[in-house]
Amino acid sequence: MKLTEREQNGVVILEPKGKIMGGPDATLLHDKIHDLIAQKKLRVVINLAEVDWMNSTGLGILIAGLTTLRDNKGDLKLACVTDKIQSLLTITKLVTVFEAYDSIDQAVTSF
Amino acid sequence: MFPRHAMTSAPSNSSRLVITSDPHHIAEADEFLEGALRRNKVPEALVTDVAIATTELVNNAIVHGNKSNPHKTVTLEIAFTDDEITVRVTDQGAGFDPSHIPDPLAEENLLREVGRGVFIVRSLMDEVRYEQGPGGGTTVVARKSLSSG
Repeated sequence: MKLTEREQNGVVILEPKGKIMGGPDATLLHDKIHDLIAQKKLRVVINLAEVDWMNSTGLGILIAGLTTLRDNKGDLKLACVTDKIQSLLTITKLVTVFEAYDSIDQAVTSF
Repeated sequence: MFPRHAMTSAPSNSSRLVITSDPHHIAEADEFLEGALRRNKVPEALVTDVAIATTELVNNAIVHGNKSNPHKTVTLEIAFTDDEITVRVTDQGAGFDPSHIPDPLAEENLLREVGRGVFIVRSLMDEVRYEQGPGGGTTVVARKSLSSG
């Protein structure tokens, strides 16, 4: 997995690319979110458009990001969720936990 | 000392990979698996399902089965017939009882970071069974029909 970062209207957009399956992936996104919290950047969108697929490790990373940001009075939202990841969010009932938007712009303006 | 990994060709249409218990090798297992699936012209939708399920199994074998002990190995085997794919993942751990895993869909567990792997494997594969070795170790056998998905 590769991870890029940019900002739009004061919202940090994290853009992972590839597969999120464990190993070093598990710490990359986790560490990035903790870095953002340390910088008081508490509004985060994760753009999933370029994520081929993820397993439970990836879902755990997203939950960790969500709960950590909310614990710090921030929030994490998802954008451009692919069909495969949407399917995983549905079968695990995590669709009830995450706010997800069809586009990055919609996710950014939702804050 | 175990080799970091070893790949062998089995006599029938199957392949085997042995890795040491380092989570960094999960991507290597995925590359091996997806290569075998594509060489056997498995449809892409099934490749993704089997890859997700198998990386769950390999991760569980490394982290939970072998406790990330670098002196223990995980063996991944994939076999093909005309009708189905069978994945076998074997660890050298103390064994475990899958019935003791908390329900990941329970309201109180939804925000847990871990505990969904076995559920996802069962959701994506057609059959999953656990075999305990006589001298320890667990083999998880997961089967996917080529007509499913």
